[in-house]
Amino acid sequence: MQWRGLAGAMRVSGWTRRDFAGGVALFTLALGIPAAAVKLTDLAAEDAPSDRQSTLMIEVSDLVIPRTDTPGARDVGVGEFVVLALAHGLSRTRAPMAAETVTAALVPFRRRDGSLRHLAWLEQVLDRAAGGDFLRQPRERRAELLSALDAQAFAQGAAFSPWTAIKGLILTGYYTSEAGGSQELRYDLVPGKWEWDIPITPGMRAFSSDWTAVDFG
Amino acid sequence: MTGNNTQFDAIVVGSGITGGWAAKELTEAGLTVLMIERGRKIEHQVDYETETKSPWDMEFRGQGDAALYAREYPVQMLNRHFNEFTQGHFVNDAQEPYQKAPGKDFDWFRSYQLGGRSLTWGRQCYRWSDYDFGANKRDGFGTDWPIRYAELAPWYDRVEEFVGVSGAAEGLAQLPDGRFLPPMELNCVEQATRERILAKYPDRVMTIGRTANLTEARPEQGRGHCQYRSICARGCSYGAYFSTQSATLPAAQKTGRLTVVTDAQVHKLDYDPATKRVTGVHWIDTKTGEGRQAHSRIVFLNAGAFNSVHLMLNSASEAMPRGLANSSGVLGTHIMDHANTMAGMAVMPGFEGRTTFGNRPTGIVIPRFRNLETMDGKGFTRGYSFQGGALQGTWTRGKRMAGIGSAYKEGLHDIGPWTMVLVVFADSMPRASNRLTLSNRTDPRGVRQLEIAFEHGREELAALSDAKTEAAAMLTAAGGHVVMGFDRPGHGGTSIHEMGGARMGWDPRTSVLNRWSQAHDVPNLFVTDGAQMSSSACQNPSLTYMALTARACDAAVKMLREGAI
Repeated sequence: MQWRGLAGAMRVSGWTRRDFAGGVALFTLALGIPAAAVKLTDLAAEDAPSDRQSTLMIEVSDLVIPRTDTPGARDVGVGEFVVLALAHGLSRTRAPMAAETVTAALVPFRRRDGSLRHLAWLEQVLDRAAGGDFLRQPRERRAELLSALDAQAFAQGAAFSPWTAIKGLILTGYYTSEAGGSQELRYDLVPGKWEWDIPITPGMRAFSSDWTAVDFG
Repeated sequence: MTGNNTQFDAIVVGSGITGGWAAKELTEAGLTVLMIERGRKIEHQVDYETETKSPWDMEFRGQGDAALYAREYPVQMLNRHFNEFTQGHFVNDAQEPYQKAPGKDFDWFRSYQLGGRSLTWGRQCYRWSDYDFGANKRDGFGTDWPIRYAELAPWYDRVEEFVGVSGAAEGLAQLPDGRFLPPMELNCVEQATRERILAKYPDRVMTIGRTANLTEARPEQGRGHCQYRSICARGCSYGAYFSTQSATLPAAQKTGRLTVVTDAQVHKLDYDPATKRVTGVHWIDTKTGEGRQAHSRIVFLNAGAFNSVHLMLNSASEAMPRGLANSSGVLGTHIMDHANTMAGMAVMPGFEGRTTFGNRPTGIVIPRFRNLETMDGKGFTRGYSFQGGALQGTWTRGKRMAGIGSAYKEGLHDIGPWTMVLVVFADSMPRASNRLTLSNRTDPRGVRQLEIAFEHGREELAALSDAKTEAAAMLTAAGGHVVMGFDRPGHGGTSIHEMGGARMGWDPRTSVLNRWSQAHDVPNLFVTDGAQMSSSACQNPSLTYMALTARACDAAVKMLREGAI
C-alpha cells in the first residue's frame, strides 16, 4: 500500500481543531457524559506543521535511513509518518515533560499542557547549528550537523534530548513500512512452523514480523 | 434473542472462558440455555478484522493513535496485548468507567464482547496443586478451600482434553502434569539455561509454557494447528488457540439448545425469598437502552470475577439488603491479583550464530520452589513462579544507539543479541481489606459503578524481593550478564488475574459459595468464574476456572435431576 500522503492522513485522523472538537462533542453526546469528563489531549490547529517543518522532517528522516540497496526513508514516506505520529503523541511525545528534563533551551517550545513542540525545537536547533537555513546546506553538511546532534543526544550520561524520541519514530516509520519491513528486513505473517535452533548464515536479516523482538528486544 | 421465549433451564451471564464452558456443559447435558453477553457479537473468522493486516496497512502502523488512547483507553492501553490491531478487543474506558478507592490504584483490563477475554488471554494453562488448595489452611490467611486437588483432577483432565494444551510433563508435585499435546520446543538459549539452572538448583525446573495453542490440528473441532504467528489477540481464524469462538461456542450451538444475546448488560438478578431461589435476570439492551428480562431454573454467573460480584452487590433486595447471597457479609472482600514485575533480564552470550524461525506463542515457566516441603521464604509463606523466555533483538535497538546514515542502517538489519527475561508472579494474599463495593457514581447506562480498593501487602513485597535475588542468581548461573531487575509490583490488576470476592468455603457464615461453586444462600445460583477463588496460588488461573465450571455444571445438572434445586 502506498503511503497516502500528509493531506490524506490529516483527513483520516481528524486533525483540525474544528474536526476534532466536533468528534469529541459527538462522542460525549453518544455517551451521555459531560465533555469536562473527557480528558482532552487537544490536537490544536497551531500544532499542524508548517510546510517547512514537514519538509525538514522528510529530509532528516532520509539522513537517518538513506536509500541503499533498499528504499530509504524518503521513498517510503517516513517524514510524513513522523509528523502524524508527533501530532498524535506517539511514543509519549504529547506527555508533559518531566520537570528535571526541562532546560532553559527547551522552555520556549513547551506547550501549555507541558509537552514539547518537537518539530519547532528540531527546526530551531538544526538552523542554529547550520548558522542559517539547515535545508539550504549540501547533503553532506546536513548529515554532519545531524550526526553531531545525534552523537550528543546518545553520548554516555547525556542530558535529555527530544531527538531520541524523534529518531525512534523515524525508525518506527521506516521498519513498519512495506519496504522497510519486507525488503530491508524479512516479513512473514504466517510462518506456519516453529524451528527452535537454526544457524545464522552470512547476510541473514532479521524478521520485522518477530513481534516479541519488536516489543522487548 | 430469537422469538419471545424468556424461559430457559439455565441462564449464563457472560461468554468468556467460563461462560463458554458453562454454555457447552449445560446444553450438552440437555438443558436449554440463554447466554447473555454485554458486548458486541464477534463471529469466529468473519469478524477478526485486523488478523491479516501488516503494520503498513494500519494508519498508525500498529502503534495506535496515542491521542485517542489517552482520551478513551487510558487503562486498557497499558496492557501489553493492546495495540492498533487489537484495540477492538478491549473496552473503551470512557464508556465503561469504574472507581478506585482513594489513594489506591487498580488497572482493570477488560474485553466486553462475545468471547470476552478468551479472545485476548495469555493462554497459559497450569494445574494447581494441594500446596495451593491447602495454602489458606496452612498459613491462616483467608478461609480453607472446601476442595483439594484429587477432586479437581478429573475435571482438569476433561477440560485439557477439549481445550488442547501443549506442554511437557515434568513430574512436579507443585505443578501437576496434565493431558498434554506435544510441547513446543525451548529455543537454544532456553535449553542451555534449563540445564545450567538444574545443575546448580536441582529443584528448579524451567519448562516450556503450557499453552492453549494446538500443536496438532483438531479437524473434529474445526481447528487447525498453530501457525506460529503469535498475534493471537487479533483473533485466530485457524482456531488454533482456545477461545469461546473456536471451541466452546460451536459445541454448545451444535446441541440446538443455546440462545445467545449480545449487547446486553445484565444489571440485576431477581430473588424470591419464599423459595430462596433466583428467578431471572434483567438487562439493558445497550443499543436501544431498553430493559429486558428472562427467567430460568438455574443461573450461572460468568461475567468475570469483579463483574459477577458487581452484579450480586447490585442485586440487593429487601430480603438480602447487603447483596445477593451475602448473608455472610464477605461478598466483595478478599479480592486478589498476582503481584507481578520483571524480576530479571540478562544478556546471554555464547549463542551468537544461532536463531529461530517462527513466532512461538508461549514462553517458559519456572514453577514455584519456595515454601513447599520446607518453609524457606523470608517474610512470605507462599510462592512465586517465573515466566519469560529468551529472545533476540531487532531494529528497535537502533532507538538506543547513536548513528545515522548507510552504515547505521546496515547495522540494524542483522538479527540482534540474545537476552533472557524472567517475569515473576507471586501469590496474592486474600485480605478482607482488598475489596469491591458499589460506588454512588453511575455508568453511562445509569448502573452504579464498581469501586475497587486493592493494594499488595508485605508478603507480596517480600516474595518479589526474593524473586529478584533468585532471578539474578539463576540468570548468572546460566552464563548471563544481568542488566536489570525489579522488585516493586505493578499496580493491582497488572497480572490480569483478578479473582475472589465471592469465595468458596466450608462455612456459610464466612464464605459465599460452597464446594460446588453454589451460593450457600441461594441454591440455584452458581458463580464459576474467578470470583469463587479463595486463594490465588501463583499460577495463571484460567484452567482452574474452567475445571471448576465443568465440575459445577455437572453438580448443578445432577441437583436439577434429583429435584434438589
